Amino acid sequence: MTKLPKCEDKKLGLLIDLDTCVGCHGCVVSCKEWNSSGDEKQLSDINSHQKDPVGTFLNRVHSYERENSSTNEAETFYFPRSCLHCEDAPCVTVCPTGASYKREEDGIVLVNEDDCMGCGLCAWACPYGARELDLVSGVMKKCTLCVDRIYSEELPPEDRVPVCVKSCPTGARAFGDFNDPNSDVSKKVRERGGVDLMPEMQTKPVNKYLLPRIKSKDAVSSVGSVVEEETDATGLLGWVDRALSKF
Amino acid sequence: MHPAPSIILFTVLSGFGFGLISIVGLLQFLSQISAGDIVIFSVIGLFFSIIGLISSFFHLANKKNAIKSMSQWPTSWLSREAISSIFCLSIVVGNIGWVFVQNRYINEVGIILFLLSLFTIFTTSMIYAQLKTVPSWNNMLTPALFIFTALAGGSILLLDYASLVLLLIFAVLQVLFWYIADQSFIYKETSVGTALGFSKNEDIRAFDVAHTNRNYLLNEMVYKVARKHAIKIRYISFFAAFVLPMLLILMFPSNFSVSVFVIGIHFVGIYFSRWLFFAEAKHSVSFYYN
Repeated sequence: MTKLPKCEDKKLGLLIDLDTCVGCHGCVVSCKEWNSSGDEKQLSDINSHQKDPVGTFLNRVHSYERENSSTNEAETFYFPRSCLHCEDAPCVTVCPTGASYKREEDGIVLVNEDDCMGCGLCAWACPYGARELDLVSGVMKKCTLCVDRIYSEELPPEDRVPVCVKSCPTGARAFGDFNDPNSDVSKKVRERGGVDLMPEMQTKPVNKYLLPRIKSKDAVSSVGSVVEEETDATGLLGWVDRALSKF
Repeated sequence: MHPAPSIILFTVLSGFGFGLISIVGLLQFLSQISAGDIVIFSVIGLFFSIIGLISSFFHLANKKNAIKSMSQWPTSWLSREAISSIFCLSIVVGNIGWVFVQNRYINEVGIILFLLSLFTIFTTSMIYAQLKTVPSWNNMLTPALFIFTALAGGSILLLDYASLVLLLIFAVLQVLFWYIADQSFIYKETSVGTALGFSKNEDIRAFDVAHTNRNYLLNEMVYKVARKHAIKIRYISFFAAFVLPMLLILMFPSNFSVSVFVIGIHFVGIYFSRWLFFAEAKHSVSFYYN
């Protein structure tokens, strides 16, 4: 069970565009909603309406700033973090009970909660913090790539995508088969240079990220230039400026 | 990493138990121990191993599935550990029964117990050493340290000067482990840059939190409290686990009641050593929370 399959048919995953993500946490909320509703599903919260609430989430959005080396200015970006459905998933091979597994037919990494003993070793083995132990049910939770949506026969065809993809208001998230070179996600990865997270961990993530494009010096008016423009005011403000400058 | 008391007790107590069993096994193989001593010290080893295993059981969040942990031995070190420890302890029980009833022993069973208990300690250490996510654990010093910690502890009750040699090897490995863990090259590849798909030296910092409170990831894997007092605790650990036992064994050789006292002090030192083993270890997920 915990031996990794080849997954030669399909490699389903997400392509996340950090240039487009606005950090609204819409994917976090919709993921929590979808995966907490219905029969036998639970992503529990403790103290949810009191002080110090803690809860289980399958998706978290971080906020970072990086220094643009050509303009010397900080640029912010948002970073949604969830399971990458790795080809060499270390979380699967460490599992002692066989609860953690990777599906041969589409590469989705799942947890069979009926077998999980809640030792937490898979969460330790994951470099990305993609797994969280549910503190109420005592079993490990992780992104299922909405396996109950994408193969659903009841949902209308346009809804058969992971709920984070469906709910993203800016279209920063795309879902598709990374094994098919003609899929939209594969094309975008080629065109824009999709990257792996922590490639040095040798997990071979299926999910790819598109990094924020670096703004060039010409394309952006820097903070400094905006401030300078204000000192060259014309009209009434210019007169006030000149008049006051005399003293 | 979070230094959970249940896990620390598990590795300290079962490590000592299996260390004692391996020393008894070796002496049994070499015919250097009486039948009565085999029974007494095997029972002590069995007791500590089982207390350790029970302690690890309390770490599980969903205990009813614990029995399933024996199933994935082809890939999982934790599964191998579960099987190996149960198998080893079954043979110990059989050996105790045989020696108790017959009042003599089979030497070959001794070497099997010696190797099997060492293998069990090795599987315990590999649960940690296999994790690429924690570079200070992800090397062969971890199994070496676990095995010689167990052998040194197990030898205090049974060996005189030979236990000094084992304590010395343990001490060297312990200092080496701390030295390597402190080196910056241990994180030569991972940074907040690579965590986000950029290059290693990208200048990135978090400007807002991903969630307003602590969560499982932070509690379990981003444990920073310890680092403040780490150096002091290392001194305490080294003194209690190595220096004091060494001095007491030299001053009172072959004194059983002193040996029992030495074991007590040694336990305190090893407990702190294991506490640091977890508390000082840095997991790669902490780069997302830089």
